[in-house]
Amino acid sequence: MSDLEVESVVLFCRELRAHGLSVTPAEVVTAATALRVIDMTNRDETFLSLRSILTTSIDDFQIFEEVFKRFWNQSHSPNRTAIVRTQSNSPRQSPKGLAFFLEHWGSSFSGGAQPIKVPGASDTESAATKDFSEFSNEELKEISRLARRIVRRLARKPSRRWRPVKRGHRVNLRRSLRLSLKTGGELIDLTYKERRPKRTKLFVICDVSGSMDLYSRLLLQFVYGLQNSFAKVESFVFATSLARITGELKNKTYQRALDRLSANIRGWSGGTRIGASLSMFNDQWLRRIDKRTIVIILSDGWDTGEPEKLAASLAQLKRRAGRLIWLNPLLGSADYAPVTRGMQAALPFINVFAPAHDLASLRALEPHLVL
Amino acid sequence: MREEVRQIQRLLEEQVYIADAAIATALYLSMALGKPLLVEGPAGVGKTEIAKALASALNTRLIRLQCYEGLDATTALYEWNYPKQLLHLKLEESSSASEAEKEAMIFSEAFLLKRPLLQAITEHDRAPVLLIDEIDRSDEEFEAFLLEVLSDFQVTIPEIGPIKATHRPHVVLTSNRSRDLSDALRRRCLYHWIDYPTLEKELEIVRAKVPGIAETLSSQVAQVIQATRTMSLSKIPGVAETLDWANALVALQAPALNEEIVAETLGCFLKDESDIAAFKAELPRITTEYTD
Repeated sequence: MSDLEVESVVLFCRELRAHGLSVTPAEVVTAATALRVIDMTNRDETFLSLRSILTTSIDDFQIFEEVFKRFWNQSHSPNRTAIVRTQSNSPRQSPKGLAFFLEHWGSSFSGGAQPIKVPGASDTESAATKDFSEFSNEELKEISRLARRIVRRLARKPSRRWRPVKRGHRVNLRRSLRLSLKTGGELIDLTYKERRPKRTKLFVICDVSGSMDLYSRLLLQFVYGLQNSFAKVESFVFATSLARITGELKNKTYQRALDRLSANIRGWSGGTRIGASLSMFNDQWLRRIDKRTIVIILSDGWDTGEPEKLAASLAQLKRRAGRLIWLNPLLGSADYAPVTRGMQAALPFINVFAPAHDLASLRALEPHLVL
Repeated sequence: MREEVRQIQRLLEEQVYIADAAIATALYLSMALGKPLLVEGPAGVGKTEIAKALASALNTRLIRLQCYEGLDATTALYEWNYPKQLLHLKLEESSSASEAEKEAMIFSEAFLLKRPLLQAITEHDRAPVLLIDEIDRSDEEFEAFLLEVLSDFQVTIPEIGPIKATHRPHVVLTSNRSRDLSDALRRRCLYHWIDYPTLEKELEIVRAKVPGIAETLSSQVAQVIQATRTMSLSKIPGVAETLDWANALVALQAPALNEEIVAETLGCFLKDESDIAAFKAELPRITTEYTD
């Protein structure tokens, strides 16, 4: 192992990082250590060895191979100015602000050519399409009740893990035996154990772009209800970018929550970029998603971004999450078919695709929220 | 290829495991650097076989931990032998030992039931092969716990104290990618991906594992299986299925494939009703293409 070899491995790792692979210092150290046991002059051996050390998934293989080929062909002295940084330069839409769209929902829709047809809009008498502000107290309470009931269900299912309890059906032998020592080995006081309740987490990602406005107020109320029911709920909103609103929603009244919300997410751009928003979500939150997590996306699927990006983000999410639910308010309309490019790209990755345009549809959601 | 890698390849071949340079290099590095090896790939490509072959090649014990949801430390690491503890207390009832002495006695190593992870750490003679199978089926808590064990090969039992590995086990983890593993675990391991074998490799495997199979039959079997994998099926046949089928054909003393025999035996490699229907529709084409 020469200094030159170590140096080139370090440079190579840097090159991998520049191409988007995350290589940790610990892995660089492992790679450098590996030089002691491999023969750097043998290219195949170097390739196979470094690949098994520096990649962590088959998804990394292609980039690794390309970078490897280029790097070691330049006789270990890479021209570092030639490093191409992969960065998306997708044009940003002009910022208009969520508030603007809350006021002008549906009247403008940047990016998409077609006007948006809102199902049930003619049906204004029903509670479903009534603006949140027109909701009676009783109706608002019903939404909160519903949210609470759903959250309670989340907590009720038993997991396969145990916890000790004072009274139960299964004896906790480990504890009981220990207790029995006090009574000379006679089992007198038994302690018990029971299945720990399954702790299902809920991540709610709500579309608040212009095309969704009619529903997003209602749905935010629902999310507010979920958020304030003593469960593990994280909530997010997105239009062209994503914001976590868990903290904002944790307010005593919905009105206060809404006030804080609109104060904090001002300056948003107008259209919908679901793919970009979800990939932002994945970057920051994917680590927290596991098989005991239900992810709910509330959106009409009108996306001005590339459907490929949406599909890729959803695929990533799907692999980690216990269940992926997409609630589309438009689905409540009989003549709606999910033919938008965004929706088409999304469908293969969704476990439950359901409407969310009225109270009944939210109620129908209950059974899907048990893992 | 370096001598050590070639030697591993030879040793595995003696165990009738066909290893390519990539897997042999990964195993070599894993042993040389003392790092766990994470093996990923579709179901039925022989991920588990690697650990088995490695154990017999090294002439050491294979300790297997099958993962499932809810797997916890008491099933993976250790549990106290309660009946034995109770019996012992009964026997000692009349003895003058103090409570503390009794406690120290029944919570000693003699009353410990060693589960796979503890077995792997306390193996006396030589480093065993520890196979942690289908890690993607366990839950996050267990993964975090495992990370702790794999980082220093030491576990602490409250009643006894820390137990350090006498020999660092060779660790192989397998995953079907049913969920993403944590980054921390991935980075702790070397990584290897096994895909479905190429036609040549599959043929080699069939000939090695199914002694007495005729040359034409084996190549027809391998070709039909390869063609089947390109169809869109819900359950793609793995190498295990290829071998099942080849064995069945040998048992039926089929000299070569024809439409009838394939139709009779396709249950060996297709395990799904709709897959069978899809395959049957393609059967005439496949048989004319791959048989004479």
